[in-house]
Amino acid sequence: MDEKRPPDGIVLTEAQQKSRRQRSIAIALALGVLVVLFFAVTMVKGPAVLNRPL
Amino acid sequence: MSVVDHNAIELSPRISEADVADYIALLKPRVMSLVVFTALVGLVIAPGHVHPVLAFTSILCIAVGAGAAGALNMWYESDIDARMSRTANRPIPRGRVTRPEALTFGMTLAFFAVMTLGILVNWIAGSLLAFTIFFYVVIYTMALKRWTAQNIVIGGAAGALPPVVAWAAATGSLSVEPWLLFLIIFFWTPPHFWALALFRSDDYARAGIPMLPVVAGPDATRLQILLYTVVLVAVAVAPWPLGYFDAVYGVTSLVLGAGMLALAANVYRRREGSAALRATRRLFAFSIFYLFALFATLLLEVVAHALAPSVW
Repeated sequence: MDEKRPPDGIVLTEAQQKSRRQRSIAIALALGVLVVLFFAVTMVKGPAVLNRPL
Repeated sequence: MSVVDHNAIELSPRISEADVADYIALLKPRVMSLVVFTALVGLVIAPGHVHPVLAFTSILCIAVGAGAAGALNMWYESDIDARMSRTANRPIPRGRVTRPEALTFGMTLAFFAVMTLGILVNWIAGSLLAFTIFFYVVIYTMALKRWTAQNIVIGGAAGALPPVVAWAAATGSLSVEPWLLFLIIFFWTPPHFWALALFRSDDYARAGIPMLPVVAGPDATRLQILLYTVVLVAVAVAPWPLGYFDAVYGVTSLVLGAGMLALAANVYRRREGSAALRATRRLFAFSIFYLFALFATLLLEVVAHALAPSVW
């Protein structure tokens, strides 16, 4: 009953887990920068930044 | 044959071990640094005031756009990268990143860079950035590079556009000055890359790339380097007598141009043995310094003018 069953499917190695974590953090940081950038430019140009003639 | 290799179906699932450094390498950071620098000069010499947030956004988008173009270039060229010693260590030939991963990465960055620049700054700059990426990936990488010895002459336009994009980002329009910067980089590209191609011609021949030394031979390349250097020096000095840039730039351009001409003439004269190799390596190294110093002069002039307007 107490025996742990091996996980189903693909099991990531230590190196694969580490690199995936790194990539996830990098994507999160990039998205964070994008959010801050859009917020900052909206503040600089005013809230009508998306409402203007092209 | 190469198409079959590229699209080989993997039967077992592949779990990536690529880390962030591999993806940064896909962006060609050294090329990106030159793009950022030339774009910064285009932005700084533009008339009027640019808000620092918009200036930062513009340079970031241009840098990411350049990186995206680099990733898409590596996606398309992974077969020849694997055959050249200079590029065999890139992430795709090393097996760190797959071609579909590089393609997705490059397209995503290109999309976000162009859209962000267009929405947040202006659409002239956004469109120019899109055109620059298109020109580098489709016109240069896919069409010209494997087809003609004039590949880097025409393809050089992509590397010359960043200051024009930056000027458009700063002003919302285009005028003569950014195109002068464009012409300087455009005519700088052939002597710079042909100097590299002269001492890497075996590499290019092995990869089947029709670089000028491979197709026309080293002597014809030496003559072309000299001729393009003469045009480059004239184009780089011209903005001074034409009244676009001032005397400090003009004198700097003359001095640096004399150095470029002397080294190009040396490459033309020395055709055999280690002296020839040394001459081409010197020209290649100096050409990087030449472009950097020329653009740095423009940058420093603007900074000096801002700090002490009465002196200038």
